[in-house]
Amino acid sequence: MIAALDRAGIRPRFRHRELLLLVLASVALCAGWVSLASQQAGQMSIGDPTIPIAYVGILFVIHLGFVLTGRRMDQVLLPVAGMLGALSLLLMARLPQGLAGLSLGSIELGLAPLQLLWLSVAFSVLAVLAIVVRNDNWLREYKYTWAAVGIGLLLLVFVLPPAGADDGPRLSLRIGPITGQPSELLKVILVVFLAGYLAENRTLLARTSTKLGPISLPPVPYLLPMLAMWGVALAIVIVQRDLGAALLFFTVFLTLLYVATRRFAYVVLGMAMFLAGATILYQLFPHVRVRVDIWLDPWADPLGAGYQVIRALYAFGRGGILGTGLGAGLPAVGDTPAIPAIHTDFVFAALAEELGMLGGLAIVALYAVIAERGLRIAARAADDFRALLAVGLTLVIVLQAALIIGGNLKLVPLTGITLPFISYGGSSLLANAIVIGLLLALSDRGVEPPPPPSSARRFRLPSRTPA
Amino acid sequence: MDAFTLTLWIVRITFVILLYLFFAALLRALWRDLRTTVATAGRSLGRLVVVTSPEGRPPAGASIPLDAITSLGRDVNNSITMEDSFVSAEHAVLTFRGRAWYLEDRGSTNGTYVNGQRVAGVVPLGYGDELQFGQVRLRLERVPA
Repeated sequence: MIAALDRAGIRPRFRHRELLLLVLASVALCAGWVSLASQQAGQMSIGDPTIPIAYVGILFVIHLGFVLTGRRMDQVLLPVAGMLGALSLLLMARLPQGLAGLSLGSIELGLAPLQLLWLSVAFSVLAVLAIVVRNDNWLREYKYTWAAVGIGLLLLVFVLPPAGADDGPRLSLRIGPITGQPSELLKVILVVFLAGYLAENRTLLARTSTKLGPISLPPVPYLLPMLAMWGVALAIVIVQRDLGAALLFFTVFLTLLYVATRRFAYVVLGMAMFLAGATILYQLFPHVRVRVDIWLDPWADPLGAGYQVIRALYAFGRGGILGTGLGAGLPAVGDTPAIPAIHTDFVFAALAEELGMLGGLAIVALYAVIAERGLRIAARAADDFRALLAVGLTLVIVLQAALIIGGNLKLVPLTGITLPFISYGGSSLLANAIVIGLLLALSDRGVEPPPPPSSARRFRLPSRTPA
Repeated sequence: MDAFTLTLWIVRITFVILLYLFFAALLRALWRDLRTTVATAGRSLGRLVVVTSPEGRPPAGASIPLDAITSLGRDVNNSITMEDSFVSAEHAVLTFRGRAWYLEDRGSTNGTYVNGQRVAGVVPLGYGDELQFGQVRLRLERVPA
């Protein structure tokens, strides 16, 4: 095999840091698995080792793929994502298996095997993106096409029959036996569009020519297409009642605008727009009001609307500093989970109960590491588009984590967002895997240089003047 | 406390310890990356010190920091403009590739000299080499850390 690679001009390159981190993550997963299985069995036991072995196998195959193809990519992101996935597997194996199910012919898959299936699909996509993507023209040149694809994907939800019969957010799309959430993929597509648009027009957007009272704005024609695109996405998301995605879109949009133009006025304006929008939404939509009221005082309706949040707070309390241990938390009672949506929205509460404050802090730290790596990749990027893309992709993961962890802890109003790589769900895992895959591809030092600026209206701002 | 409870507790704590061991290894990797970035960033790749310049532009004794690609010549569009009657408009280009500096003559009329030797094509340079374009003589120096 190595001879074949050699003929193709590919030289394997060892990635010892990644290997070390992956070994550590695997050992940790094994220890966690033994801890969980012993707790559940009531005696020392290793439970059913096929799930962790299969998962570790996938991670090492990906590592081998990176080594054999000689990629000079970031060596930290894959182990971090792998560790988060391992925590996810431990939690899913521990929760009642009936929370999710898929029957393929005669095979019935419970929560943990199903999550393993999604994780393997997601990590395969991650690996393929990281290895195959050698240039970014397919993202850069077709930004409007991508935006159209994203909006179309979202509109599909209205056309096709809804997956769930409940009157909650209309998010799901059913294709055969699989349901998917297009808004997860839309997060990535929106970042691609914004990065492309801002990279092309940042110099124009940073200029001030329109005065609106004390605020000076960039030329209106260059602001309109982007605002329109953003407004359409936001409107659809609000109509679908997916508050979390709306909040995420707005924050990503605002941050990228600030990163591209370095104009603080945009941030001030954006915050004002956010406050105005939030007030209007609070007045207009009952579901927004419910979320805010629960956040302010969950004990007003402890058995109804506030039930979830109160149970989560008790879970954090029960966990303490060291936690109850995997499998020993309260969700073990019966087959109904103590916290509704524990496998999607409240995974952090569940893990913090069983691993304690120490475990919870470790999870937060892992997301902080992703943020550091993403911003480092952005700082080293060869041109504006790649830098903005890396910032936006990093933001998608880190903001989701911050919003849902904050929601679990009652620091911010709870919005239905998944915890990247830990929550149960195929669409979310797939979208986050695409993000990490693209970040890895962007970090590759052997990647093709960006194309020279082509259109006439692209010109560079005078960057730092030499001393 | 029986043996099983104790063992289970040890396994539990081991898991948390391993979690933090993983995090410590991560921090070590990040720290190393940061160290190399700090060591290389901010430091200019090199500089040119003007040894002699009869027509005064650039002035003798001046120290010019270098970018990874520095073009030299009489034309104002060059990174370093040399107002010297014997220097061509687009005289030469200095590039930093990987770990070393390279000099390429861009078809100048009066040629480019490295340590007194006329050069053609791309030649590798070392710190301390003396370059001559027309009447201007410059020395390539490492920027002191």
